[in-house]
Amino acid sequence: MHEEWTDLMSAAIDGELDPVTIRRLDSHLAGCAECAGVMADLQRLVATAPSYQGEAPAADLWPGIKGRIDATKVLSFGRRSPAGFGFRELLAAGIVMAAAGAVGSWYWAHREPTPVTVADRSAPGAGLELTSTAYDSALAELGRTLTARRGQLDTATVRVLERSIRTIDQAVAEARAAIQRDTANAYLNGQIAANLRQKLNLLKAATRAINSAT
Amino acid sequence: MTDVPTFQSGGESKCRSIKTMEVALTAPAWSLGTLAPSFRPGPDVDDVALAVGGDADAFERLYRRHVSKVNALARWLVAPADVEDAVQEVFIRVWEKLGTFAGQSAFGTWLHRVAVNVMLRRRQNLGRDRARVIDDEFALDAVAARPQQPELRMAIERAVDGLPPGAREIFVLHDMEGYKHDEIAELLGVDPGTSRSQLHRARMLLRKVLAS
Ligand SMILES: [Zn+2]
Repeated sequence: MHEEWTDLMSAAIDGELDPVTIRRLDSHLAGCAECAGVMADLQRLVATAPSYQGEAPAADLWPGIKGRIDATKVLSFGRRSPAGFGFRELLAAGIVMAAAGAVGSWYWAHREPTPVTVADRSAPGAGLELTSTAYDSALAELGRTLTARRGQLDTATVRVLERSIRTIDQAVAEARAAIQRDTANAYLNGQIAANLRQKLNLLKAATRAINSAT
Repeated sequence: MTDVPTFQSGGESKCRSIKTMEVALTAPAWSLGTLAPSFRPGPDVDDVALAVGGDADAFERLYRRHVSKVNALARWLVAPADVEDAVQEVFIRVWEKLGTFAGQSAFGTWLHRVAVNVMLRRRQNLGRDRARVIDDEFALDAVAARPQQPELRMAIERAVDGLPPGAREIFVLHDMEGYKHDEIAELLGVDPGTSRSQLHRARMLLRKVLAS
C-alpha cells in the first residue's frame, strides 16, 4: 500500500483537497488497483457509518428515567419562555388547556362555596366574555384557514392541528360551563381570561403562519 | 454547532410546509427563514408536542425510538461502567430541555447533540480529559478481528467498539454524527489538525478490520 496516497484519501473524501492534488490522486488510483481498493473501502465506510442503529441497553432504563421525570413533571403554562410562540406551543396548547380545564372543573366541583359580592362579579367576568368572543372568532378563522390551505399542508400537520383545535374547543367549552356554574369567582375568572388571551394570540399567530407558509 | 447534519434523505418536499410554518412561528416578526434540509416529519413530531405538554407516555415512545442509538453513542463516548447512567442522564436532560427544542432540525438530530454534550461533560466531570484523545492504546486487535455480521453497517458498529478511544470519539463525532473538525476541536479541546489526523487513522483502522 502506498501511504503517500492513502494519507490523502480522507481529505479527498471530505472534499478538503485542492484540485491539483485531487487530479494527482485520481491519476494514481487509475493505475494502482491496491490504492483504488483502499479508496473504495473508505468511501463505503464513510457512506455507511451515519446509518448506525445501535442496540437497546441490556436493562430497561425507562423505569429509572420515568421516576426522575415524574419528580420534575409540571403541567403548567410556565414551562416555556413567554417570548414568542412556537409550533410546539400551538400543539401543546390543546393539551395544556385541557389540563387547565380539568383542574378548573375539579376545583369548582370540590371547593367551598364563595360568598358572592358585587366586586367579584364585575371586571374579570366582563373581560373574560370579551376575550371569549374574540377567541371564538380566532378559532373559527384558524379552522377556515386550515380548510382552505389543507391541500398545501402535509397530512401529519393537519391532523395535529385539527386535534389541537378540537381539544382547545372542548377545554374552552368546559371552562365556560364551569364559569356558568359560578360566575362569582374573580380570581379564577381572571385566570381563565388570561389563559384565553394567551391562546387567542397563539391562534392568531398560527393562522398568520399558515397563511405565510403556504 | 449550528450546522445540522443530514443523514436521512427523502421526505423533504412533504415536510416543507411544517418546516416553513415552524420557522414562521418562531422567527421574529413571523418572517420566513431558510429551511433546514434535515427536518423530517415522522412520529416524533406528534410525540414531541405531547411530551412538551407533560405527557410521559409520549416521552416514553420517544425514548424507545431513540434509545438504541443513544446507547451506542454512550458505548463509544463514555467508560463502560458509565454507559447506563449516561443514557439515563441524556433522556432526563432531554425531558428538561424539550421546551427549548426549536424544531429547526429533526428531533433525533437535536437529541444526539444533547447526548454528545451530556456525555462529554460527564467524562470531564469524571476526570477523563483531552489526554484521552491522544491515548494510543490499540484495542482493535483485541476485538474479534473478522466481522461476524455479514452486513457492513453492523460490522462497522462492532469495529468502532474496538478503536483506540481517541480515534473512536473523533470517528463517531465526525462520520457518525456529522460534526465538523472545528466543532470537534472545540468540544474536545484539541487542534483541528489532530481531529483530521485521528479521523483518518480511525478510518484506516476500521477499513483494515472490515477488509480482513
Ligand atoms: Zn498505490
